[in-house]
Amino acid sequence: MARTTWIVAACTALLAFGVAACGSDDNGGSTGTSSSSAGGKKSYKMTLVAGVKGDEFYITMNCGAQAKAKELGVTLDFQGPDKFDASLQTPVVNAVAAKKPDAVLIAPTDTKAMYAPIKQLADGGAKVALVDTTLEQADFAVSQIASDNEGGGKEAAKTLGQLIGGKGKVFVVNVKPGISTTDARGKGFEDGAKEAGLTYVGQQYDDDDPAKAAAVTKAALAKNPDLKGIFATNLFSAEGAASGIREAGKLGKVKIVGFDAGPKQVEDLKNGIVQALIAQKPAEIGADGVQQAYNALTGKPTEKQIGTGFTSITKDNLSENQDALYKPSC
Amino acid sequence: MTDVSTKADEPELDEDQEHRPPFWQRLVAGSSTPIGLILGALIVVFSVLEPSSFLDSANARNIATDAAVLLVLATGMTFVITTAGIDLSIGAVLVFSGVVSAKMMNAVGGDNWGVIVVGLVVALAGGLGWGLINGFLVAKARIPAFVVTLGTLGMSLGASLVITGGVDERDVPFKLVTTIGTGRAFDQIPWLVLIAFAVAIFFGIVLAATRFGRYTYAVGSNEEAARRAGIPVDRHLIKVYALAGTLAGLAGFLSLARFSTTTIGGHDTDNLQAIAAVVIGGTSLFGGIGTILGSVFGVFIPAVLENGFVIIGVNPFWQEIAVGAVLVGAVYLDQLRRRSQYQR
Amino acid sequence: MPEPLLEAREIVKSFGRVRALRGANFTVYANEVVALVGDNGAGKSTLVKTLAGVHQPDAGEIVFEGEPVEIHSPLDARRLGIETVYQDLALAAELDAGANMFLGREVMRPGVLGKLGFIDKQAMRARSRDAFADLGVALQDTSAPVATMSGGQRQGIAVSRAVTWASKVVFMDEPTAALGVVQTRNVLDLIGRVRDQGLAVVLISHNMPEVFEVADRIEVLRLGERVARFRRGDVTMEDVVGAMTGAITHDGETR
Repeated sequence: MARTTWIVAACTALLAFGVAACGSDDNGGSTGTSSSSAGGKKSYKMTLVAGVKGDEFYITMNCGAQAKAKELGVTLDFQGPDKFDASLQTPVVNAVAAKKPDAVLIAPTDTKAMYAPIKQLADGGAKVALVDTTLEQADFAVSQIASDNEGGGKEAAKTLGQLIGGKGKVFVVNVKPGISTTDARGKGFEDGAKEAGLTYVGQQYDDDDPAKAAAVTKAALAKNPDLKGIFATNLFSAEGAASGIREAGKLGKVKIVGFDAGPKQVEDLKNGIVQALIAQKPAEIGADGVQQAYNALTGKPTEKQIGTGFTSITKDNLSENQDALYKPSC
Repeated sequence: MTDVSTKADEPELDEDQEHRPPFWQRLVAGSSTPIGLILGALIVVFSVLEPSSFLDSANARNIATDAAVLLVLATGMTFVITTAGIDLSIGAVLVFSGVVSAKMMNAVGGDNWGVIVVGLVVALAGGLGWGLINGFLVAKARIPAFVVTLGTLGMSLGASLVITGGVDERDVPFKLVTTIGTGRAFDQIPWLVLIAFAVAIFFGIVLAATRFGRYTYAVGSNEEAARRAGIPVDRHLIKVYALAGTLAGLAGFLSLARFSTTTIGGHDTDNLQAIAAVVIGGTSLFGGIGTILGSVFGVFIPAVLENGFVIIGVNPFWQEIAVGAVLVGAVYLDQLRRRSQYQR
Repeated sequence: MPEPLLEAREIVKSFGRVRALRGANFTVYANEVVALVGDNGAGKSTLVKTLAGVHQPDAGEIVFEGEPVEIHSPLDARRLGIETVYQDLALAAELDAGANMFLGREVMRPGVLGKLGFIDKQAMRARSRDAFADLGVALQDTSAPVATMSGGQRQGIAVSRAVTWASKVVFMDEPTAALGVVQTRNVLDLIGRVRDQGLAVVLISHNMPEVFEVADRIEVLRLGERVARFRRGDVTMEDVVGAMTGAITHDGETR
């Protein structure tokens, strides 16, 4: 049976090789070989590690980053874990570290737990730009680029207040604590709601799972039958909250303001299930990330913190804001 | 009438001395060898494609660290599957053990070895508890293991959510994180990896060379025959599931040490990954066949694949397809080899 | 008249609504081969399993060497010196011949290692090889899983196991049912050798020619009760079959 064993090993190796060869065409176009660039200057290798793959926010971020990368003559890979969780993002980061990229743009999935693996990247010589989310200790990063999430939360409170007529009960569907961005949005909303004279009944977490978001939404509706408005702090949360409203038969009676403008949320907006979306500018965040990393590599000055802006999208102004919408692919 | 057949066969009987080939030869021809070769082939492929990145001690360390917790889970799962059982609850029990351990350590307070030991004991006890429930229901209540462990999966995960309110417990004694979680022995080998391998080696020996191990094989191969031979089958099954649960508890503690948070949402597929690792390693789902060494290979094959694919730059969505395809291929080819042995 | 070695008296055993044994009796003496025959569903296997400790009787008693005993488990039967070759052989197919021989009776390593639970595979393999050789069972590789062996070899292992460990009685339930001519021959010779070594052999079989070849006595079970007892020399196959089907009943003298 020794011969069979060798055939076994050879076939599996070929299989792995074949898949690797096929699969590696589809990403931003790099397999570790340097691409040509104008003037024969060094072509840098960067990787963008998303918080979770399959989320249009990060996909749009990648599109913006890829465009900027092309402009600068830089090659950019895109990777991400299956779920927004530190235990799943860590192996991805570790593998990226092995490639010894020149720079890494990353959205950390936990402000504390991801410190060690990302620091390891930086210690290995990579320039690290934190995009969207950040770490508790981020001094080693060349730049932190994010929307002003607290401001966004306040803006959402204002918008929601207007939608429900200035007073009433409002509820927040959040992701999980320890994520810098959504923590800030939740806080901003709470402050904004209180300022606007709304009755803030609390927030629940959905672990970035639309099904759970729907469940906590329905539970909140059951507990507060006179609930007037909901603020969902990210894409999956908004998706789930909308489902929850629909399933509870409260369409139109409860207003939703969601964060992020993925295709599903835009559909919900058009159908009147969601009344307003606070869209971030992920493409800009991605492009800024690439630029900052590039600056760091070429000895140019970097900005430690960059705050990107928002667009408030409603059904009425949807047609003018098409480019603010998130894309499912580049 | 003389026994023509027996006399003719006698020359093939061993005479006085043991005919067995030497240890190293048995190792090479052993049942885990083809899987080990496949792992070797994968390492070679990735090393050839990306020599400077893949073949790096830091990368090897990372792969091993990422695989450590799964290795502990797979060790327990090997025993369970060898008895022709299954345990779907281990990922949830891991989370539960981490949760109760973290809560207890915070209740006790402090940042010293004493509180860490308390945390470890609580984690192990948590895992043991669920393991005993599993074992009892499977052995005494005679409910199929699939159903029982699916139930305890829900119950233990649910309990974790109740205890934490659905929010990860992120306060873990710092000493735990810096020593066991991210620390290294001799500055080279992460403690997590050492602990995981120590567990695998210890229980590998138990499975291969002790009566407990032999009973495990016997019960898996033919439970009724084991009973008739006087083996205390029910008690043994309870012990096996209790072992798997306790190891899940240890895994929960190690995960807590590594990430300094309970990562409730990150373990949904741990059970299937552990089962895949064990099955790739050559353990039969029908029981009676299995080795810890095979499970070690089985843990590292997907780990190497995932790491290698990221390094090469495979589109993340293709990675899952590729890993799945290679798993099926590896097991299929191993099955072919086995079946040829059993042809009579 | 010598005392029976093992006796089952008025054993009743039901499984749900099925009354497998309705006051069954059975007697075995030392140094003999007694055949337990009966049609399908007569209760032969149930009776054997009850005497082997696999089932517990609902009523009736078991008497061993003149004393009433309770056989609650296979271990109890073993302790009395009773071993069984089951119809399904009860072998663990993935384990090797040595492991099967010592199943439930593993040999521990000497000293500290043994106390810690380490088994002595070498010793078990060696001793089982000797046992197989003694009984004329031919195996090419004693470290191969039993599943890779032929039906006859597996039967040989199961029989060797029971014979090696038994000190008083060996039950053999349909030991040749799936065997070819040559292998059947081996088993029948083995049965004779076992009897000659001093044990009592209880042979359950459908196969009248075989029964008439090896058995000293024949007891007939029908519908869960003993209906006839014969000495082989006193009776013809037709008589026995007649007893099995209920045409005749006979309670011959024993010995």
